[in-house]
Amino acid sequence: MNTRTAQSRLRAMATTLAVALTLTLAAAAGCDSRQQPDLPSVQEKLRETHIYGQSKLRIGVATNEPLMGELRNGQHVGFDVEIGRYVAASLGYEGDQRLEFVSVSTEDRIPALQGGTVDLVVSSFSMTEDRKKLVNFAGPYFVTTQEVMVPTRLKDRIRTIEDLRDPAYKVCTSGGSTTEAELEKHQVKTFVVKDVGDCVDGIRKGRYDAVSSDEAILAGFLASFPKEFEIVDMPFGTSELLGIGVPIGDPALRDLVAFFLQKSYQQGRDGQASPWQTAYNRTLGPWLKAEKRQPQPLEVPKLVDFDDKAPAK
Amino acid sequence: MSAAPTATGGDGPVPPPRTSAPGVATDPPTFDGTAAAPPAGAVGDVAWPTAVPVAEPAAPVVAEVEPGRVRWDPAERRARASQSFWTAVVGVPAIFSVLRLGVEAGGELQTTLLLVANVGPVNLLAGFLTTAARLLSTGMVAVFALGAVLAVSADRLPPGTRRRPLFARWADITPAWVVLASFLLALITWPLLYLPLLVPAFVAAFQLRPGRLHERVAPRLLLIGALLAGYGWLMLPTLRDAVQQGDEWLVLALLVVPPLLAVFIAGPLPGLVIRPLASVTEVAVLATLVWAAVPVISTPVLPLTVTTVGPESGPTEDVRGHVVTTDDVNMVILQEQGGVRYVPVDLVRAQVLCPSEEELPRHQLRIHDFHVEDSLLEGMGRRVRPVHRIDAACRTPA
Repeated sequence: MNTRTAQSRLRAMATTLAVALTLTLAAAAGCDSRQQPDLPSVQEKLRETHIYGQSKLRIGVATNEPLMGELRNGQHVGFDVEIGRYVAASLGYEGDQRLEFVSVSTEDRIPALQGGTVDLVVSSFSMTEDRKKLVNFAGPYFVTTQEVMVPTRLKDRIRTIEDLRDPAYKVCTSGGSTTEAELEKHQVKTFVVKDVGDCVDGIRKGRYDAVSSDEAILAGFLASFPKEFEIVDMPFGTSELLGIGVPIGDPALRDLVAFFLQKSYQQGRDGQASPWQTAYNRTLGPWLKAEKRQPQPLEVPKLVDFDDKAPAK
Repeated sequence: MSAAPTATGGDGPVPPPRTSAPGVATDPPTFDGTAAAPPAGAVGDVAWPTAVPVAEPAAPVVAEVEPGRVRWDPAERRARASQSFWTAVVGVPAIFSVLRLGVEAGGELQTTLLLVANVGPVNLLAGFLTTAARLLSTGMVAVFALGAVLAVSADRLPPGTRRRPLFARWADITPAWVVLASFLLALITWPLLYLPLLVPAFVAAFQLRPGRLHERVAPRLLLIGALLAGYGWLMLPTLRDAVQQGDEWLVLALLVVPPLLAVFIAGPLPGLVIRPLASVTEVAVLATLVWAAVPVISTPVLPLTVTTVGPESGPTEDVRGHVVTTDDVNMVILQEQGGVRYVPVDLVRAQVLCPSEEELPRHQLRIHDFHVEDSLLEGMGRRVRPVHRIDAACRTPA
């Protein structure tokens, strides 16, 4: 009889405890359901940026780099332009009415960001340690290598970096580019002009003999003059990470751009048609020797967005 | 006090909570006749054969001892309960919907009237049910689960000590199918994260003791073990993710603990606990419902859109708000920041549907690719239309 009473008392205690715990958990769940997300949301980040409330987004692009950024019949076209459009649309700026492409030359990219004449720069902008002190980078969105393009008449004579050092050949490159620094490291004397396009013009007019820049830009000029030029594969050994330049005072915008690049990267990895892949197929894809994929962006923040609940598969 | 155990001993195990009412109506006189005044009854039967007044003391005694149970005829009581149930079913959504219109209009009388004129009652009711189904089922599940626990505990109490708790009486008069329906509603509308809480609530509401599984102890333990193991296997990937994310302790507790509690939750509570539990939970459930009703009232009735407005070739403007109505001349937009805007139909360039910031998830966890904050219904919906693109216009500030 005693053991039965003890048992039922134990049982009653267990029931009490279970009821109390269930009620506590339910209360905790109720409080949890009313809380704000821990992670910042895309909308919150957007409010922190300097572009919030701006009626137009200004993107700095090149106008004389075929396939990357080019002005054709008054329209900006090219891979960089398409990437710029995707990022702008993700930030809430879609359509030509809300988007302004500003032409920036290679050497003006940093001053344009510093001076506030553009909000973003998408113009074959290599992410380097030195530049990171002056501007923020989101990316990379493209990985390329340095190459040399020579006119067809010289394709058998200029084959190595050693050949470039020959004072007989005039090597041209654009000012303020990573190529200029790289060639200097290899003790190649260069003629520095404003844009790669000027080098190509110069070669066609006989002023220079070779032009060095990154693979994507050169592929663009090769596409424009397929019979006149040839790209020579040289072992410069450095890969160029192209990123989207953001003013250094706006880390929130950098985070957002990186977040949207990551979104595209994940779409591509899941086998869907990513905005990056579409841009690539429409512009660079057919002209590059080797197939490229979107590189994984670096330092991507974790943000909450409306489509987070969508099924992953 | 000495007579009480015999009374409960005879009464307790026999009538289950939901069917006790009819039995009680006939039983108490005999119990009370024997328990309360055996000598008087014996004397009365023998010495006063023609004395009618014997019936007189019997009725007041019954009313005194169990006032809650015998006040009304059970059939009448049932009728009244069903009446008030249907009144609540129709009235509460109607009142809430009208309140919501007022809130939606920003407290402006004219705007409220504009909404009343343009939002149909069916739309309003449907809109209310989509947002309030979760709250409604939560309230009902809480009441029925607590009511059943209190009812089974109150049955063990000495009779006459106290009125049966309110929730217990509600649980008594509610047909089982209503209880079951409210649990089903909760099953499809609650976020997956909170669904485990439904297991102990269900077990409590129907007082399903482990003994029901099997009469012998060993197979019973095996069955419980197998059920829990199956649940654990289902949840394992999510639990691993939650542990990796580090600060998701509440999620872990919500997923792991409730099924374990379900094993112990059925059964009577000690008499000491019943009274405080009954009054505290009554207040708590009421407070929770009021607290949770506030967001339901302030949830918009109309969908959020961004309308691009402007002449054919010229600057455009984005108007963020809820479209109240569109006729041949104007599109009437209730702006998110307040105020009504009449936009000429010719000037409307584009319109997109936007999500609101309340829909942002708080947790980054999934249960087999269903987000933990989605209900089963929402999760299935996302499977039907998996890709949801957020339009650029939705990012623009209001």
